[in-house]
Amino acid sequence: MDLQLTTKLEISNLCKGYKSNADVLKSVSFSVNDGEFLSILGPSGCGKTTLLRILIGLLAPDGGVVIKDGRDITTARPSERGMGIVFQNYALFENMTVLQNVAYALRFRKVPKRDAQERAMRMLEAVGLQEHAKKTPHHLSGGQQQRVAIARTLVLNPDIVLFDEPMSALDVATRLAMRRELKDLQKSFGTTMIYVTHDQEEAFALSDRIMIMNRGEISQLDTPDRIAQAPANNYVRQFVLDNLQAKADSLARFIGERKVRP
Amino acid sequence: MKRRVRAHNVVQLCLALFFLVCVVLPLATMLARITPSGLREIAASAQFWPAVGNSVSTAFTASAISLVIALIAAWCLERVSIRGKALFAMLFTIPMLIPSISHAFGLVALFGSNGLLTNLLHWNSSLYGFWGVVTGSVMYSFPMAFLMISGMLQYEDGMPYQAAAVLGIPRHRRFTDLTLPYLRKTLISAFFAVFTMIVTDYGVPLMVGGKMITLSVLMYNKAVAMMDYSAGSVIGAVLLIPAIIAFIADFLNPEPGQGAFVPEPVEPNRGKISAASAYVCCAALSLLVLAPIAAFALMAFETKYPVNPAFTLHHVQKTFRAGAGQYLGNSLLYALLSAAFGTTIAFVCAYLTARVKGPAGKGLHLAAVTSMAIPGLVLGLSYVICFHGTPIYGTIVILILANIVHFFASPYLMIYNTLAKLNPNLEDVGQSIGAGRFRIIRDVILPKVRGTLVEMFVYFFVNAMMTISAVSFLAPPSPKPVALMINQFEAQRLMESAAFVSLLILGVNLLMKLFALVFRRVRSRREA
Repeated sequence: MDLQLTTKLEISNLCKGYKSNADVLKSVSFSVNDGEFLSILGPSGCGKTTLLRILIGLLAPDGGVVIKDGRDITTARPSERGMGIVFQNYALFENMTVLQNVAYALRFRKVPKRDAQERAMRMLEAVGLQEHAKKTPHHLSGGQQQRVAIARTLVLNPDIVLFDEPMSALDVATRLAMRRELKDLQKSFGTTMIYVTHDQEEAFALSDRIMIMNRGEISQLDTPDRIAQAPANNYVRQFVLDNLQAKADSLARFIGERKVRP
Repeated sequence: MKRRVRAHNVVQLCLALFFLVCVVLPLATMLARITPSGLREIAASAQFWPAVGNSVSTAFTASAISLVIALIAAWCLERVSIRGKALFAMLFTIPMLIPSISHAFGLVALFGSNGLLTNLLHWNSSLYGFWGVVTGSVMYSFPMAFLMISGMLQYEDGMPYQAAAVLGIPRHRRFTDLTLPYLRKTLISAFFAVFTMIVTDYGVPLMVGGKMITLSVLMYNKAVAMMDYSAGSVIGAVLLIPAIIAFIADFLNPEPGQGAFVPEPVEPNRGKISAASAYVCCAALSLLVLAPIAAFALMAFETKYPVNPAFTLHHVQKTFRAGAGQYLGNSLLYALLSAAFGTTIAFVCAYLTARVKGPAGKGLHLAAVTSMAIPGLVLGLSYVICFHGTPIYGTIVILILANIVHFFASPYLMIYNTLAKLNPNLEDVGQSIGAGRFRIIRDVILPKVRGTLVEMFVYFFVNAMMTISAVSFLAPPSPKPVALMINQFEAQRLMESAAFVSLLILGVNLLMKLFALVFRRVRSRREA
């Protein structure tokens, strides 16, 4: 990693609770570096999606501060944070064409129509969808729809993009291809990416650092290697072990089957 | 964000007030008029208990017959390979486009003392009484049961049937062991819905009941004709009971959502004998549906039905001289306004309950579907009692309010289901790119639900056009809706005019349905 890391996002003491669950987030603090790919990993209900919604501003925290590039954005509107978000079920505008989907947001940035079309088209080229520009989303495959959602976010040039389990609706082969594309996009746009998932393999494959969450708290925040080698506590150790065990099991099954067959 | 939350709350509050003033308050006022002495008086009256017996026996018999007919019709169209399904399906729902009183009048036109079939076959049947009411009620109510059952059959998964076929299970056992259990909940709720519809309708028993008085006719006689509101309130409360039971049964026993993705639809039966019997059933049912309409046409346009068949416009002119044109205009105005406001309110309400999180949504949702449980006759009486003396009484406003409340639940549920199925993150995406809720509603949600909005509009319109229940209390003498003239003409023995008015209502509603159909076609073609 680079030696000159600059802090992009500084989160301190975020907490959030509901009537049903008072401690969805218990005073969470961490920071994200510029251009980093950070995965937030944990079982469902650990607070990772709540955290993401607070970061984008769809949810107000009960307490704590979010600072981006030295500016307090805790109460800023979602559209004024220079961030984008990609949802797992794409949330495309199905009545619009692919191109219109991507260009739509530029209308609210007072971009002239022709420029908006051009920028949207360039973005579609970047995600390899230029020949689908005139189609409506339901004519596209799941992976293509996901790429439209990503293009729609990137067209506003956000410096941080949040992903809420973006791959969970895709099949395995598409997921692997999307991972590579995501990394390529990150490199070419230099965007900071915060990626929420419950898929360990995905997190370990993509991330510069991984944040493991459990019951509204950060269990460990470190590089994939360090998490694997030096788990901070029993929870993380068990979490990583379970994953390894599952992989070992399927590997053993695979080898076992090969052995049985002539 | 805070500011927007407050804007929702204001709208939620307005809707809550709307339900409070237009549903809760009138009902409470009506029920408050029931006194122990009034209750005793009604219970002791000579007419009450026989009327209860008549209502239950006719409604029970008619509901059972309706359900059987509906099941056969739905089965023929969904599970047998025959041609002309769309046409049959359309024919079977035509009875939904005319008032209940027209169905009864159709029977009079066919089987009455001067009816078409009476003269043709020299039948000396006694139409008036139990079987007259049952027949009229079946004609009026089976389309609803048909729609409910065929809707469910369309979305049944075909895999168990393939498995059953492979296992060698005979066809009739597949029906009793797979289809009937699958339809059980639908059949129960269809029975309750149809029973409630029949027991609260006064149009059919008023016209063909003869000496047999049902509860709804008793209520009509007491409250509309004799203006005895306290007796009417008691009977109204009794009529609420089946509706409330039906509502609770539905609530405790919710149907699995329709429109779910079906990986493998059920393969229709391709046997020749099945097809032939299906054709016979469908043809017979079509005849049953079309016969009264044919009789209306003959009556309205023949010189002297049924003896002199020469074509004439004399009756039509007479009907228009009696004010039919003006009444039709009133009805069109009521129906259009009810549909426009009803659709708007139902959309706003469903948006708040389906797409805005929070506990207020649940209460609003309950209020919106509860309005379904109130029979039109009861709603009308409660409005009379509650709004008597207020400025809206005797105006078009109260009629439209009653229509909106009376027909609210179905269109509300249509749009609620559509909105709930749309991606839950659309508004979030909008916020993240700077498009507020209203922009997303305008640019994304409204275009997406346009088809449903049209369906809702048509539903409100068609029902407002043909309703005779609530409006019979509320209609001021001069701008009367056209549906109420059928009864009036029949009472004056102006049979040809009553027939023509029934045709008029059918024509307008058919045009409206046609509009919806064309809209749907154009839309689906554009999307393809």
